[in-house]
Amino acid sequence: MTVLGDIMKKTPNEKKILAKMQPGIITYGGFLGTDKRSYLQIIADDEKALEALGKTAEEIADRLEFFQQKSFDSFEASTVVDDTWEVETEVVRGYLPCPFLHQGMYRKSYTTVKNLKSKKSFTFSALNIHLIRVHHFFEGKNSHFRMEPADLLKELF
Amino acid sequence: MMITRILTDVALMSAIGGILALIMVIAQRWLSNYGEVSININGKRELKVTGGNTLLSTLSDQQIFIPSACGGRGSCGACKCKVESGGGPLLPTERPLLTKEEMASNVRLACQVKVKSDIHIHIPESIFNIRRFNSVVEEIIDYTYDIKGITFKLIEGQSIDFKAGQYVQLESQPYEKIKDKVIRAYSISSKPELKDRIQLIIRQVPDGICTTWVHKHVKVGDKVNFTGPYGDFYLRDTEADILFVAGGSGKAPIKSILEHLKEVGTERRMTYFFGARTRKDLYLSEEMQAFEKVFTQFEYVPVLSHPETEDNWTGKTGFVMPYFKDAIRDPKNTEAYLCGSPGMISAVTKSLKEYGIYEDKIYYDSFG
Repeated sequence: MTVLGDIMKKTPNEKKILAKMQPGIITYGGFLGTDKRSYLQIIADDEKALEALGKTAEEIADRLEFFQQKSFDSFEASTVVDDTWEVETEVVRGYLPCPFLHQGMYRKSYTTVKNLKSKKSFTFSALNIHLIRVHHFFEGKNSHFRMEPADLLKELF
Repeated sequence: MMITRILTDVALMSAIGGILALIMVIAQRWLSNYGEVSININGKRELKVTGGNTLLSTLSDQQIFIPSACGGRGSCGACKCKVESGGGPLLPTERPLLTKEEMASNVRLACQVKVKSDIHIHIPESIFNIRRFNSVVEEIIDYTYDIKGITFKLIEGQSIDFKAGQYVQLESQPYEKIKDKVIRAYSISSKPELKDRIQLIIRQVPDGICTTWVHKHVKVGDKVNFTGPYGDFYLRDTEADILFVAGGSGKAPIKSILEHLKEVGTERRMTYFFGARTRKDLYLSEEMQAFEKVFTQFEYVPVLSHPETEDNWTGKTGFVMPYFKDAIRDPKNTEAYLCGSPGMISAVTKSLKEYGIYEDKIYYDSFG
């Protein structure tokens, strides 16, 4: 498929969403990273991976929200959850809109969860939780907030 | 024969297309020409403007700047104002950002309302003080690994009037792959007595467009524009005791207030709690401690939530709230000024109310 053919295939809404995901529109690096796949293909591939892992995007989002809430409960300061995860949230001024053309804004809050046993950590924003829950979108490869479903399952559950 | 027929059809189709395009251009010229319309503001001031643009941009053209954090894209909800008449029906793009009460009292998003006919609006008087400023970057200081202090010197003979604690909206410039400017709000950290320059304290936001520009691209001598001043977080002119509580880049407005008080003098009893995670997140500590020698009753209290072993920290630790008790001598005569994340504001407000401080004496800027 040529680039032109790829563009021609998209609905007007898809073109708008793709435009919102580009670097510099909502975030500095955008939502697609270096991924050459369409955002719909990224979603489809991650859904397939989740199916193989036996989890849903909603369950992943619930888990991320659980950690975010634990951090909020301790006023965004660092806290240890179940002796296994260290969680903290950084909140800065401002909001981010959803690239999928939803109305509403998501506060610029960045939660970091560190698995104290494996030492692996993940950072996600309030918008990421929405993107995963509602759109099953984990972002493209090498984007700033891309999280691999398999890694999340291994480290955060 | 066939080729002639094809060429004739193509020519015919092109001609029809051209005529239709011409009709559309003429129709658009006539139909979207709203001519001169008036904007009545607060029943006191009337502007004659050319109709057709959004209320936000029309007012901006008249040097009246309503706050907007998204540059008029209808996504931040910051440009709310009351449209008494002439604003047309409420649009679907506005509803998600308005409460039922706001909709009932004719509050609209200025970036969505088109000025097509005479219109009556109501905006706070303080908005008339907001101006657009041109400046050059005079100084950049690295306060921590992710916080910079940047001084902007006004040019073209401009001067700024603001209250200590207020903020401005900085306009970034296109850079690298960023094609458009963005507008972001930052508190002023310098004293209002300096009329020809302001300082902002800006923390690097992960994947942030404006903060990446500030941290990686802005140099001394660059031209930068901003509008302001905005906000109702400022020092009240009373004799009450003061508690300042800040975290992260929330130090900026408090610094402005303290520098202002140093200029005008005060006998008020003040305690400043600054919450940070580790020693490397502390900054301007010497400057804040120096105020203890300036004021007769001032104490700066940094509190680390998670000091590291190598910090060799002997100061206060944990949350800031348990330390309020010793700082409050008369809760009924104490004001609190808070700047930080919503979680911090919420926790501190709850605690202050438990200590007996009146809720309407707790002023805050919650990074909104």
